[in-house]
Amino acid sequence: MAEHHAVSDGKHKASTNAGGSVHGNSRPGAAGGGGGKGGLSGGLTQPAGWQSLLSFSILFLACLAGFSSRLFAVIRFESIIHEFDPWFNYRSTHHLTTNGFYEFLNWFDERAWYPLGRIVGGTVYPGLMVTAGLIHYMLNLLHITVHIRDVCVFLAPVFSGLTAISTFLLTRELWNQGAGLLAACFIAIVPGYISRSVAGSFDNEGIAIFALQFTYYLWVKSVKTGSVFWTIGCCLSYFYMVSAWGGYVFIINLIPLHVFVLMLMQRYSRRVYIAYSTFYIVGLVLSMQIPFVGFQPIRTSEHMAAAGVFALLQAYAFLQYLKDRLTRQEFQTLFFLGVSLAAGVVFLTVIYLTYTGLYAKIHIPIIASVSEHQPTTWVSFFFDLHILVCTFPAGLWFCIKNINDERVFVALYAISAVYFAGVMVRLMLTLTPVVCMLSAVAFSSVFEHYMGDDTKREKPPAEDSSDEDDKRNSGNLYDKAGKVRKHVSEQEKAEEGLGPNIKSIVTMLMLMLLMMFAVHCTWVTSNAYSSPSVVLASYNHDGTRNILDDFREAYYWLRQNTDEHARVMSWWDYGYQIAGMANRTTLVDNNTWNNSHIALVGKAMSSNESAAYKIMRSLDVDYVLIIFGGVIGYSGDDINKFLWMVRIAEGEHPKDIRESDYFTPQGEFRVDKAGSPTLLNCLMYKMSYYRFGEMQLDFRTPPGFDRTRNAEIGNKDIKFQHLEEAFTSEHWLVRIYKVKNLDNREPLDHKLRSVVPKQKYTSKKTAKRKRGHIKNKLALRKGKKLQKK
Amino acid sequence: MFGKLLISLFVVIIFYHDPADAQKKKETLLSEKLTQMMEWASKRSVIRMNGDKFRRFVKAPPRNYSVVIMFTALQPQRQCGVCRQADEEFQVLANSWRYSSAFTNKVFFASVDFDEGSDVFQMLSMNSAPTFLHFPSKGKPRRSDTYELQVRGFAAEQLARWVADRTDVQIRVIRPPNYAGPLLLGFLLAVIGGLAYLRRHNLEFLFNKNVWAFSALCFVLIMTSGQMWNHIRGPPYAHKNPSTGQVSYIHGSSQAQFVAETHIVLLFNAAITMGMVLLCEAATSDMDIGKRKIMCVAGIGLVMLFFSWLLSIFRAKYHGYPYSFLMG
Repeated sequence: MAEHHAVSDGKHKASTNAGGSVHGNSRPGAAGGGGGKGGLSGGLTQPAGWQSLLSFSILFLACLAGFSSRLFAVIRFESIIHEFDPWFNYRSTHHLTTNGFYEFLNWFDERAWYPLGRIVGGTVYPGLMVTAGLIHYMLNLLHITVHIRDVCVFLAPVFSGLTAISTFLLTRELWNQGAGLLAACFIAIVPGYISRSVAGSFDNEGIAIFALQFTYYLWVKSVKTGSVFWTIGCCLSYFYMVSAWGGYVFIINLIPLHVFVLMLMQRYSRRVYIAYSTFYIVGLVLSMQIPFVGFQPIRTSEHMAAAGVFALLQAYAFLQYLKDRLTRQEFQTLFFLGVSLAAGVVFLTVIYLTYTGLYAKIHIPIIASVSEHQPTTWVSFFFDLHILVCTFPAGLWFCIKNINDERVFVALYAISAVYFAGVMVRLMLTLTPVVCMLSAVAFSSVFEHYMGDDTKREKPPAEDSSDEDDKRNSGNLYDKAGKVRKHVSEQEKAEEGLGPNIKSIVTMLMLMLLMMFAVHCTWVTSNAYSSPSVVLASYNHDGTRNILDDFREAYYWLRQNTDEHARVMSWWDYGYQIAGMANRTTLVDNNTWNNSHIALVGKAMSSNESAAYKIMRSLDVDYVLIIFGGVIGYSGDDINKFLWMVRIAEGEHPKDIRESDYFTPQGEFRVDKAGSPTLLNCLMYKMSYYRFGEMQLDFRTPPGFDRTRNAEIGNKDIKFQHLEEAFTSEHWLVRIYKVKNLDNREPLDHKLRSVVPKQKYTSKKTAKRKRGHIKNKLALRKGKKLQKK
Repeated sequence: MFGKLLISLFVVIIFYHDPADAQKKKETLLSEKLTQMMEWASKRSVIRMNGDKFRRFVKAPPRNYSVVIMFTALQPQRQCGVCRQADEEFQVLANSWRYSSAFTNKVFFASVDFDEGSDVFQMLSMNSAPTFLHFPSKGKPRRSDTYELQVRGFAAEQLARWVADRTDVQIRVIRPPNYAGPLLLGFLLAVIGGLAYLRRHNLEFLFNKNVWAFSALCFVLIMTSGQMWNHIRGPPYAHKNPSTGQVSYIHGSSQAQFVAETHIVLLFNAAITMGMVLLCEAATSDMDIGKRKIMCVAGIGLVMLFFSWLLSIFRAKYHGYPYSFLMG
């Protein structure tokens, strides 16, 4: 496969570079041989020229590998938006490009959360939509006419290339250029990041990781230089991050933590003061410009740590200033201790509060029902990071052993990110970049020692001494990698090295590990993370592929055959897809902001038909859409999610819905004859298995055999009173039911009692004596039937 | 003569007073029982009962209060670990009721231990503990008066919902705050502070990078081996197959894990990390060349061996994973 080659190719390049640059140093004469480029030969005779050319090409290849390994889904299926949330993002981007930015900011979506509606402009992070819209606008300005969908599909792969570059920059600041290149290659193909950024997964995280890494790069840069220029850059990047993803809270807590720890370590300097003061004020003001964030940065507990550290920094700086004027040192140190202790206590409480808040959130059913919010097993760590998860502690060790200001930062980054990743699978995403950087540090320091010439073994590249240099003249340590290499000739030791055999064996084995990593990444990307989940594929025994396009079939049916304002009820997972693909009004969707509304839908699904009909009438439901996987054995269907519907409904309506009613007395959830009668008669069950009892899938199984749950269904005789089947897709994956209008009054079983008045009153007046009459009008006599039986 | 008169008088009195007397007697009995129950309840929130008490206060008819009874076996020789946990939850529930402002004499909580009232167990033909039964104030216990322990678990909140369902008494479960954690933390901080104070003239150890690096590494390794998952989910340490007696330390599915397994993974990760560090040390340290070579070989050996081992465990858990290295 093309991607595969590209990936491993980039890897080789990267690995050889870490040592290759040493080669270049030791034999500069070889560079002169690269003669083809006459004009450049002047630059290329110098090792720095080769180095930058090599770095550039490796970085370029890494970006390319990152881009192309994310295209599996596009090549296998088509250029399509994946999953659930991306459909909403796509829909709003479409709205943005058709109606303009201000219209988008003021957008009130009456097609979602019927009858409540949703204020979209004020409840989204607009960065993603604006980025895609801007790219689309630029391309159209250049008369490259692409559909907005294609921009959305390819946005995440493009940004992953940018992430590789920003990771390179950050790692270069932290360690050296070789480590930077390795880190760029790692982040380009690591599954932990690919999982959120394959082509078609048009989601906030795709661009947010770039913003995160770039913000950190600029922060490290501004701490190193202490220049307002870099800090303003950092603030702008932070602003972009705030506009893109709610995970910006991680930045606004990590940077203050860095500053705080630096102060504790007595590493306070003017540079830190300038960087943090500027960052806090400008970043605060900028972040409050996003409508969804608003005044949160000065109100909520997540942001309080930043404010506290800001105040503390001012106090500390003031004390430092006083210290130069006063002599009572003892008093001052005491004072400092008191201040720092108080600040530490405040900081810890804030962290503790956020932690408990997070912990409590995990236990609410609607949050617990989302699989992304589960804690992480070691298998998922290994699956997403492979060799990196085993080696990055080594990188952390090296960083702490040779500590300086920015390595404090990366150590804190690693420790906090690994904690959050342990609590929640979804936050593996924030851990991935730092794991790539630290692993790159570990691998590059091994390669540095084992790939060079044996005779020229030098002292360890004297990080400590160069760090001291860094602190003195912080202005020009941009080119640290080059500087380190200059020590090579200076400090030669007479002692012999490890010998070429051992060195080459170690190098070979390490390269093998990296190759395995590349292969693993490609396999994982191809098998686990490249399914659009809107289109399913199944493979026959001979390897041919069946495409199951039921979802789009059903949504398109809805789009074509129902009234434009029809309201479709479904479980919330499918809300965004119905809105995006079918363009119909939904009751609940993946933006789960209103728990009681969701619980009402859950209650309708889990009640019996007549009770559900009342709820559906009150919500004006026209169609009900469910996902049923029993025919093809699709495990993510609504019956498997059903217990969550019951639980969420029970949370709001404990009188009417009880979870225990849906279990057998033994506490099992069964759909066959032994299942509880409440389950067998609830709306979801009936809708899923309507007419399924007549269907015999193959000759070994009885009719009505559910392949997903491997059971013969318990209720084969399903009749509807208030619903009728409107549509069932080819593989029965999507079933749509129409909610009937209210019936006519039912005819009575018995005859009406014929009331014959005993005495008929007849007027004594004759027709002529009546008050008046119209000529030729049919004369009706009141109280007399026209015909008698 | 006098005796006869007395007897006849007695008979007359008895005959004369009989219906009203029975009513009165019943009422006195009832109030007696109620005061007795209240007295016990004021002493302990969960009334301990033996066979006699059970028959008299729960089984015998005149009763206008409901009783929630936990049948349990708390004696150490019974080795019922679940009973102990269930008992704690039941105590929490009973205490929340006992000390709530809405406390009335409508509901009582009681427990019967198997070793004190095995005849009760026989009478109700029960053979498992713990079991929660509700004896309503009127009528016979129905099916739903038996708490479904397997389905609903024995958390106090679930029990409270069941009780609310059966008796219309809403109990807000108030757990006694657990001071152990903060106290321990405070103690630890105090010890650290004390040590720092004692050694205030020699605070070198605070600047020891090895200590800091080591503790950071420990934290990272603990997190990456999934201890947080263990903390939240509470899996068993290992699984023993009841029929063959074989102990498996590795969970068969990739969705779950045993505690033992995470410890193994932690060790493996640590070994690989150590291998990487050794490799670097071997190349940079000032020791003589023989030692350095040994370090180098040990380092690469550690990395290779434990990584391939880890990969094979991963492969066993993640079905369909095609790659392996050194070990099948």
